[in-house]
Amino acid sequence: MSDPKMIKEIMDTVTIPVMAKARIGHFVECQVRPFPHLLFPLPLPPNPATLTNPLPHQILEALGVDYIDESEVLTPADAIHHVSKHPFRIPFVCGCRGLGEALRRIAEGAAMIRTKGEAGTGDVIEAVRHMRTVNTEIARAKNMSEEELRVYAKDLQVDYVLLKETAKLGRLPVVNFAAGGVATPADAALMMQLGCDGVFVGSGIFKSGDAAKRAKAIVQAVTHFNDHKVLMEVSMDLGEAMVGINCGTMAEEERLAKRGW
Amino acid sequence: MTVTSPATSPATCITVGVLALQGAFSEHVQLLRAAAANTSSAPTFRFMEVRTPEQLQQCDGLIIPGGESTTMSLVAARSNILGPLREFVKVKRRPTWGTCAGLILLAESANRTKKGGQDLIGGLDVRVNRNHFGRQTESFQANLHLPFLESTKETSKNDPYRCVFIRAPVVEKILPSNKALGIQEGENERADTVVAPSKTPVDELAKQELEREVEIMATLSTNAEPLQENQKHAHAGAEDIIAVRQGNVFGCSFHPELTDDARIHVWWLGEVVKAVERRQQFELAHRTK
Repeated sequence: MSDPKMIKEIMDTVTIPVMAKARIGHFVECQVRPFPHLLFPLPLPPNPATLTNPLPHQILEALGVDYIDESEVLTPADAIHHVSKHPFRIPFVCGCRGLGEALRRIAEGAAMIRTKGEAGTGDVIEAVRHMRTVNTEIARAKNMSEEELRVYAKDLQVDYVLLKETAKLGRLPVVNFAAGGVATPADAALMMQLGCDGVFVGSGIFKSGDAAKRAKAIVQAVTHFNDHKVLMEVSMDLGEAMVGINCGTMAEEERLAKRGW
Repeated sequence: MTVTSPATSPATCITVGVLALQGAFSEHVQLLRAAAANTSSAPTFRFMEVRTPEQLQQCDGLIIPGGESTTMSLVAARSNILGPLREFVKVKRRPTWGTCAGLILLAESANRTKKGGQDLIGGLDVRVNRNHFGRQTESFQANLHLPFLESTKETSKNDPYRCVFIRAPVVEKILPSNKALGIQEGENERADTVVAPSKTPVDELAKQELEREVEIMATLSTNAEPLQENQKHAHAGAEDIIAVRQGNVFGCSFHPELTDDARIHVWWLGEVVKAVERRQQFELAHRTK
């Protein structure tokens, strides 16, 4: 989680919704307004200080942030569990590398899914790999009999009912974004054509030569992802792209996508 | 082979577009298909996602979906479709429906905008208050009786409708029906308020549609159960206006597209058919003069 003061300043500056990151499993960073019985299993001691000072656990939700990204980009806080997201009023987005992770996160209460990709690299190969994996696994599930689906649910370590619903829909039952390595308008359109519902871009914009221009171009590319003329126009004269890191040369322990269980 | 002139036969195929720049356009298209399956055989409908002026030109009616209104407005301007949208709604006065962000864009005046504001399309003589109930965490659902619904095969029109309010606007004020057809004077002098530019209707029928009074189609009681814990909700009156219509332009605060209930879409498609028939009769009368 970033400094809440900075998050607050961003919220005060823009009229659009604001998403903040929390560490994997770090439910205290997330808690804005969970159900009281989950927060306080015991009656609170009558401490006057807690009445006047903001409670330490009411952080992102107390800020009034609009969405939380339980993100592998930050150091995980829990090596086994993700945040149980159902008690929160705020919608969560979580990363996935395939259908198994996606459906486990949805079962935990994630309202949105994104590919993990490999954040901070400007190399789209991992995002493409993860999106293609999700698509392939859903296509496989679509053609399965009930018996096969039960075995597949066991293999993927996911809830059978959720897998059956996904197979019936032919897509994830929640919106699915692309993230992790998108750096050009063409990357964004590529992910949209692979079936994503939207695109997250961070360093691809902010580490490029002309962030404002590139941001506008990527937004246009997402809306007009099938319009080759628009894609060509917005790709012109964007200045320096971010200095990329080739995912192929990264050591295993440097990869962020491995975080999450 | 006989060729019937389109102006002499009743509408046989009506094209309805959904503005697909951002937001819940896919969900609207799905509900439109469900609604069309509930209507009688003629006319047939064609539904399309609209991202360009050329696509908009093919449409007899348009839905502007829920989403994020600032984003939608910026993308519309950059995609050179903001002008054609104003032409569609305010010059040709074609049937248009805005949900949530769509209602904001169709308002003649909107407040709580920040630096630079946002460009409105206009078409409804109302002032909307953006994010009236607060941020994402203050979002809620309410089962409401909407008097204008049509029945579907699954649900009677008398059953309550699940209204989903996400960072929703409300109609804060009904403005005078703008007979002079200019911008809403007085509104542009308010701080933090943006107004839509004025446009001249293309012909007498468009002018008549534009001059209709604003009708309140639905309200939400501020005593409604989902609002009782909402501390940010300013209780201005006993009721918040959550759906309005002015001639053939309709707007609502909530997201019918996030339910699987097609009853509003069935009703609205009926209104589109009527509007298309009015225009055909007008053009026929005009041609025979």
